[in-house]
Amino acid sequence: MTDFEIIVGLETHIQLNTRSKIFCSCKADSWGDPPNTNICPVCTGLPGVLPVLNRTVVEKAVLLAVAMHAESVQPISYFARKNYFYPDLPKGYQISQYDEPLARGGYLDVPMPDGAVRRVTIQKLHLEEDAGKTVRAKGRRLIDFNRCGVPLIEMVTGPDLRSADEAAQYLIRLRQLLRWLEISEADMEKGHLRCDANVSIRPMGLNYLNPKTEIKNVNSIDAVRQAIQTEVERQKREVSAGRPIEAWTLEWDEDLGALHKMRSKETEADYRYFREPDLLPLLVDSGMRKRILGAMVELPLERRARFVMQYELPEYDAEILTEERSLSEYFEATLTARPGEAKTISNWMMNDVMRMLRERSVTASRLRLRPEHLAAIIGMVEGKLITTNTGKELLEKVEESGRAPADIVAAEGLSQVSDDSRLRSLAEEVVAESPDQLKAYRNGKTSLIGWFVGQVMRKTGGKAEPQRTRAILEDLLSE
Amino acid sequence: MRQALCDLPGHELVKRLRRKEISAVEILESVRGRIEAVEGRAPTTEPYSAQPADLERVHAYITLSLDRARQQAEAIDRALAAGEDPGPLAGVPLAVKDIFCVRGTRSTAASRILQDFISPYSATPVARLEQAGALTIGKVNLDEFTFGSSNESSAFLPPPGNPWDPRRVPGGSSGGSAAAVAAGEATISLGTDTSGSIRQPAAYCGVVGLKPTYGRVSRYGLIAFASSLDCPGPVTRDVTDAALALKVMAGPDPRDATAANLPVPEALGDLDQSAPKLRIGLSPDYFRLQYPEPSTGGLSERPVDPEIEAAVRRAADLLSDAGHTIVENVPMPNTRYGVPAYFVISRVEAASNLHRYDGVKYGYRYPGEVADLRELYRRTRGVGFGLQPKLRILMGMYVSGEEYEKDYYQRALRVRTLIRRDFERAFDPHGDFRLDCLLTPTTPSTAFEIGALYGDTVSMQYVDLLTVPADHAGVPAVSIPAGLDGRGLPIGIQFIGPDFSEVRMLQAARAFEQATEGDEWRRIQPRVVAAASAGV
Repeated sequence: MTDFEIIVGLETHIQLNTRSKIFCSCKADSWGDPPNTNICPVCTGLPGVLPVLNRTVVEKAVLLAVAMHAESVQPISYFARKNYFYPDLPKGYQISQYDEPLARGGYLDVPMPDGAVRRVTIQKLHLEEDAGKTVRAKGRRLIDFNRCGVPLIEMVTGPDLRSADEAAQYLIRLRQLLRWLEISEADMEKGHLRCDANVSIRPMGLNYLNPKTEIKNVNSIDAVRQAIQTEVERQKREVSAGRPIEAWTLEWDEDLGALHKMRSKETEADYRYFREPDLLPLLVDSGMRKRILGAMVELPLERRARFVMQYELPEYDAEILTEERSLSEYFEATLTARPGEAKTISNWMMNDVMRMLRERSVTASRLRLRPEHLAAIIGMVEGKLITTNTGKELLEKVEESGRAPADIVAAEGLSQVSDDSRLRSLAEEVVAESPDQLKAYRNGKTSLIGWFVGQVMRKTGGKAEPQRTRAILEDLLSE
Repeated sequence: MRQALCDLPGHELVKRLRRKEISAVEILESVRGRIEAVEGRAPTTEPYSAQPADLERVHAYITLSLDRARQQAEAIDRALAAGEDPGPLAGVPLAVKDIFCVRGTRSTAASRILQDFISPYSATPVARLEQAGALTIGKVNLDEFTFGSSNESSAFLPPPGNPWDPRRVPGGSSGGSAAAVAAGEATISLGTDTSGSIRQPAAYCGVVGLKPTYGRVSRYGLIAFASSLDCPGPVTRDVTDAALALKVMAGPDPRDATAANLPVPEALGDLDQSAPKLRIGLSPDYFRLQYPEPSTGGLSERPVDPEIEAAVRRAADLLSDAGHTIVENVPMPNTRYGVPAYFVISRVEAASNLHRYDGVKYGYRYPGEVADLRELYRRTRGVGFGLQPKLRILMGMYVSGEEYEKDYYQRALRVRTLIRRDFERAFDPHGDFRLDCLLTPTTPSTAFEIGALYGDTVSMQYVDLLTVPADHAGVPAVSIPAGLDGRGLPIGIQFIGPDFSEVRMLQAARAFEQATEGDEWRRIQPRVVAAASAGV
């Protein structure tokens, strides 16, 4: 049987997280709001209204374009009208960029789980307004205009991805980047990040492109992976059976896990594009560009590489710590207070801080346990002022109370007992109280040492310094 | 002869009002009386057959809002009594072309498809005029969606008649505006100009029509025809009122990205102060009509009406006598392509702008059974739109189609650039001509009879041949009355200036007005006004 190569390109629509819509001052995010509550004459296309461009939309788009290594962020780009009739498109045209988009070219290097890196090229990046939503209910069509005029970026990749998993990885990295730049919530389930996948296959080793099918309505990264996989299998079956692949548009049915044919043969409608006369050319001059890029931060993959290089963190740690921007900033802030202890801090963060984040469903920047608190706790544990267990409990106590760790230690008397004479007398008490265990230990059941340490711990309320306690006990028991 | 209040210019009314010689309510009552005398039956969208009486009446208004105006008038009188400033247009009766949205009123665009549309917001220029104290008498008739030059395409009939001869058209598309101001049914009107729609009816009705620079006045709330050309502007009795109205409505608007971010010149408030000596050009290309023959495609040529050319030449002589410099033979060679290019550009934009009228959200929706969404669209638009919108949609869709767009739309845009260059060359301060403005006829002929051209879309469009170049170029232009022809019909002459030169251009127009103050034709009233004044 022929070996096939899989060719995938993704067309993504990114909903920007601006406060207001792209051409009017209505609230942009209507998640959970009743239908038709965030609307005005402008976004519902009343007679006589005009669009006015939201500058924040441009700023966010320029940030993304630069982060995607765009070859050019155009100093002048234009809006056009894309004309078509649909009930949830109130003006009968969508204002979109067309022949002169905001940015052209670019790429994202996507690390794959096997260690390889796939360069995914970007053809263009443009701005447009979203349309409304049509809901069918009991034989009626209901229209919600809340989404009309929500700002979108459309970004199309080249046919560069070679598997369903690679497509999923691209979306994971894109989502990470969008959140990192704080330009989109990038939640696919909420439609902040939408994706159509173009899929074709070809015999391995050849380099032409076969007709592709387009998969629409995929609303999660898992769905993208499944839908592409399903379509690839179908195409392989077709080709193996000697049937040609036709340029269909397919719709992913999430519930059935199956693809339905929406349209056969791509009959591209004539949208009669022309320049939008109600908007001026979009100018991004060097001053504006400079101001926008002043807000540019180190990107996730760069930061990941630096963590490995500069702090000698394992790849795994660096990956986890740079999954999300505020987590990586938290790590570095903690490290500033305890230089040279990157791995220790990383362990604390990956084991404990991240658990707290998950339990509370917050990002690191929202914790009351600030990096300086974490650094102080680690410092006390390392300095043997408190035990590791006390340190871990302190994390929660600081988070609950917002008080400084040292204050809590002082107030609650949590300092570690490390005074030899005190530990020795407690250990002697324990040995005297436990003749059976002593006998067993001396008969060779040395694993009981842990039990003895535990007894001393209990007497100190967990504050006994474990290593020293153990040494003292071993000394006593072997006598 | 003592003139009725409704026949006075706005600045005179404001002066008398401020001196407390008259009240705003008295002004309004004068206008109400005139409307009752000359207006005739209210236009409707019902099936229409012309009655003999219709040809004696003006029919300027689609909707009257005299109760609203009464409240505004009373508020102004109260403000005056309390010693407050009631605004620069206090008590001035205003007719709004029914292409502007006015909050809480019917805004129809003279179309069946919007005949019951009540706007929830007000257009920026309307809001500014009302803020300045103007009394909104009502919404005046126009060609459907402004598509026309005679007002005969309105869905609301009878159509407006010309107050000088109601069997003739008032021009268009701001025909109701010009007719209302000429007949004393309003003192100023807010119109729109896309190819001449303010200036041509102003010329036909013997009033002043000002198309400002594109971007000088916000388009917010103006129901769009051709967005890159549409320009709101005033229709008034004299040049001083045009300047006053412009001063009030002009200026940046955060709701219109294409509104210029320029301050409004103070000098609009007093044109007569520091009137400079100007260089005024005449162009042979504005004394002839050149147009492609539909059968051959070759260029045909005929002269403008000799009486109109004579009026322009006399104006040039008078201005020369007043110390201004007249520059002859200014070439404006691309004038001849103005109409064909306009045909293409305006229709592409119009077709797109009309997409929103689909019966889904507001306005007319076909009430019968429909099989599917497409049929709802088809029937709604089939019944809701009149002939002109349908023609323009068809042509707009054709010339913007993927396979024709380069040959028509892109080419028309290049022609538009050439037309703009003609003006840049004429106005270039370091060029051969260094003009402050051009002086031209407004129209090739005076008002024609109702029915004479209607249906002949191409001939109708050539009525705009001398006005449309300024729309293409975006430059300001004003039409002012310059006498009557042999049949007693008004002649308009036009001044065209460079971008944002409204003050100088209006000073030139004002200079002509002053030079002809004593002319006999200025004493002659439109026929319907004379009849009303005689108590008929």
